[in-house]
Amino acid sequence: MTLEAREKWGDALTYLTAILIAAFFLTPLAWLLSLSLRTRQEVFLGASRFIPKRPTLDNFAQILSDPTFLLYLWNGLKLSALGGLGCLLVAAPAAYAFSRFWFSGKSALMMTILAFQMISPLVILVPLYRYMSALGLLNSHFGVTMVYIAVSVPMCTWLVKSAIDNIPKSLEEAAAIDGCSRFGTFWRITLPLAAPGLASAFILIVILNWSQFLIPFLLLNKDAQLPISVAIFNFSGTSNASTTQVLAAACLVAVVPAIVAFLLLQRMIVGALTAGAVKG
Amino acid sequence: MPTTTAAAIGAAQRRVAGPSLARRLEANPFTWLVPVAVMLGVFYLYPILDVFRLGLTNASLVGNDERYTLVTLRAMFENPALLDILKTTFVFTFASVIGQQVLGLAIALIVMRGERRKLKGMVALRTLVLIAWVIPGIANGLIWQMLFSEAPFGAINSVLRMIHIPPVAWLSDPNIAMLSAVISNVWRGTAFSMIVFYAALKAIDPTLYEAASVDGASGSQKLRFITLPQLRAAILVNSILVTIQTLNTFDAIISLTGGGPGRATEVLSLFTFNTVFRNYDLAGGSVLSVLMLVISLVLALGYASLLPRREASE
Repeated sequence: MTLEAREKWGDALTYLTAILIAAFFLTPLAWLLSLSLRTRQEVFLGASRFIPKRPTLDNFAQILSDPTFLLYLWNGLKLSALGGLGCLLVAAPAAYAFSRFWFSGKSALMMTILAFQMISPLVILVPLYRYMSALGLLNSHFGVTMVYIAVSVPMCTWLVKSAIDNIPKSLEEAAAIDGCSRFGTFWRITLPLAAPGLASAFILIVILNWSQFLIPFLLLNKDAQLPISVAIFNFSGTSNASTTQVLAAACLVAVVPAIVAFLLLQRMIVGALTAGAVKG
Repeated sequence: MPTTTAAAIGAAQRRVAGPSLARRLEANPFTWLVPVAVMLGVFYLYPILDVFRLGLTNASLVGNDERYTLVTLRAMFENPALLDILKTTFVFTFASVIGQQVLGLAIALIVMRGERRKLKGMVALRTLVLIAWVIPGIANGLIWQMLFSEAPFGAINSVLRMIHIPPVAWLSDPNIAMLSAVISNVWRGTAFSMIVFYAALKAIDPTLYEAASVDGASGSQKLRFITLPQLRAAILVNSILVTIQTLNTFDAIISLTGGGPGRATEVLSLFTFNTVFRNYDLAGGSVLSVLMLVISLVLALGYASLLPRREASE
């Protein structure tokens, strides 16, 4: 076999494997979509109606016309975005210090911060539940947002640090010569220049916050405060075989915002992740 | 420029007067670390210390009458369920780590080869895998429940029925439920390994492959003698990170199997959750939390020891 022929066979094999893998990753989402477009009768026909004969948007209409469901979506967005914003505010000064100062123990400190990332939120929630209760922070979006911030701060610090690392120091030095204070430089020069990096860190953290389940599940009890992730879990507990299509639609509505946000910013996010992965 | 000069003079005057408190504070790197330190202190360090303390009490989530005692500690380690839970956790974690890495490496290799040969659809493949990764854990469990379901709308069983193969008890057979949980976890987690391996593969010196081709090495020989040894560090680091992620997995299991059938898929995190928030046994749950913490810490130290020392080179 010539080299070229072997490469052609290799290409065919590559495609074959790629298709199998794509099928594995696509099937669950395709099935979810299929169920969400069916009537109750067609749900019981299983895979034979993978493409529904009478596709319907009723399931989506049903959940999206429910004001509580819209409230769940809004709560999810609010908590994720506030958590992301708060996290940037807390992490940015530390990231600046790690990027622009030299001090002994810097890398040990950065590793220590990263180590917090390895701790399951469950471990801290066991005692936190009691404090929050004592402080009256149970059933409050403020309390949940604070925990979101704490949980994502380690990762955020690393992401923002690498964003600041990529900015040339010369502009900051110019500002300093012009008499700008260090904090002023940080606020007026460094952060605006790091905006693209900050934006991708923000989006990534909002996507991760959107998935948060345990924190709101434990710290919020009132139905009107729940974010979508907890709401669909509760809904699945009360749903049965005859409401599967509605649950599928609700799930789809819950995952689509995360997917869309990811697709829009894929390049930035993958860049941020690989930078982190390569540097450790 | 006059303004610059004026500012420089102003700065010089201030320097003569000695730097103000604000200037001295902002010149100290630790000032900048205060917000992060406060957040981590309040929401991590203090709770962690408290978990250690609570483990030595008989605290309950209801009622405040708590004493220091070693009874909880002993009861937890004498609990016959704990050993089963640890076994379950080990099987779930080990299988997930192997599954995610093998699949992640396979996808990374395919995407690399596809890019080299300029095949179409490689970005789409990578994107598809990454999409699974942004699916919230709860939704992941619910989606896979719809696939594994033994009801008529369960995707896999209804396909099996169409081709006249008897249906499989994906979620109600204790042995198969574990496999189902691993499959759903691999589906969601593979993207992370793929990205790490993809970045590591890009970093391999292409001349190694060229030299091997000149020597007549086959594709599998290149994989075994060049790719895998070059990826050793990435595989080690990735193993530890994926292990930690999987140990902390909670939402995807509670929404897929709820830990059942029986206790077949009740992993340590779920057991801890149930102990505290279903049985209100705060002390017992704290002992388990400490156990989770110790396991994560050992793994994290392993991870830290594998990282290259960067400070020296900076």
